[in-house]
Order: sequence, then structure tokens, then C-alpha cells
Amino acid sequence: MGKYEYLALLAACVILTLPLEFVFRARVWRRPRRALRALLPVVVIFGVWDAVAIALGHWWFNPHFVTGIELPPGLPVEEIAFFVVIPLCALLTFEAIRNLLTRAQARR
Amino acid sequence: MPAYPIGSAVAAVVVVCLELLWLRTGIFRQPAYWLSMVVVFAFMIPVDGWMSKVPNPIVVYDPDVLSGVRFPIDIPLEEFVYAFAMVTLAILLWERAGRGSHPAAAGRRT
Repeated sequence: MGKYEYLALLAACVILTLPLEFVFRARVWRRPRRALRALLPVVVIFGVWDAVAIALGHWWFNPHFVTGIELPPGLPVEEIAFFVVIPLCALLTFEAIRNLLTRAQARR
Repeated sequence: MPAYPIGSAVAAVVVVCLELLWLRTGIFRQPAYWLSMVVVFAFMIPVDGWMSKVPNPIVVYDPDVLSGVRFPIDIPLEEFVYAFAMVTLAILLWERAGRGSHPAAAGRRT
């Protein structure tokens, strides 16, 4: 996989959580404006933190596993993708679980 | 200075305060939130485990900024605190964005 490995890992997370959207009716992808209002601040806040940490040398990314494409300042696009994908998966999980609990409650 | 655990702890405290003192979406009272965190942490182990695997991790840390505790596998323990902050913030903002004019309908409305 080489330099697409990090992206592939994130793609796997997206694919694996897709059933939550449809089978469990999480409806996160289908409520894009609400999702954007949740994700945008996360991307900005954690993206800035990440860029600062990278600039300070706190952590970095093995060049073998990233594309090398960076959004200035020095932030790998994979990291931006991470700040979108992981919270998205969490929202899908949250909504799916809430739906399941609501349905379980309604059956009592 | 272990900047990573310190930064993560600060982020977690800020997010909790954001909910309790300002946004007040009530997510900490929802079983779905806590169950989601369990699921998120469970999946974090293989995903983050892969990202931080020794040798050849995707992400490499300056050891000085870490607590030094790597568990489970090679995941810096403080990363779970970081994840808590990031995921909780996202769920908080999602809830807030879904809040209609009727408080009791929060979470149910589109």
C-alpha cells in the first residue's frame, strides 16, 4: 500500500461504517449541513493543534505511508481526512445506537 | 515536557466544561453517548494500533512529549484522552446543531 496506507486505513473506516447510515438509519451523511456544523470546528481546532505540534516536532508522519501532499502549513491531507472521518464514524455510531435504544424502548 | 498528555487533558477538560457550562446538550445523560464512546474506543484499538505499530508506525512521536505509557499495543495511552475530547466535541456540536426550538425534541429532530 505504501504511501496510500494512511488514506486506505481511513477509507476502510468509512466503508465499515456505511451500514450504520442505511441499515441502522443513522442519517448522518444524509444530514450534511448538520454534519458540517459538527465537523468543521473539529477540523479547524484539531487541525491547528496538529499543525503546531508538527511544526514543533512533537510528532510527524512516516513518509513511506503518506502521500506527501500537505495543506499549508505543513499539515498532511491525511490528517485533515482523519479529523473528518473519525468524528463522522463516531456520529454514525452515536445515531445508530440511539436509534437502536429508541426502538428497544418503544417495544416495552 | 509531556506536551501530548497535558494537551489532551486540557482539551478533555475544556470539552467537558463546554458541555456542562455552555452548550448543555445533555449528552452525558444519554446512554447512547456512553455506549458510543465504548464502541469508539474499541475500534480505536485496531485503527490506532495500526497507526502507531512498532516498528514502522504511520505516526512517529518525539518520546519527550509522551507520557511513556503505551497501552494497549503501542498506542500512547494519552491518545484515548485525545480521542475522548475530539469525539465528544463532534457529538456535542452535532447535538447542538440539531436542537430545534423545542428542547424536548433535541436529538430527535433532523
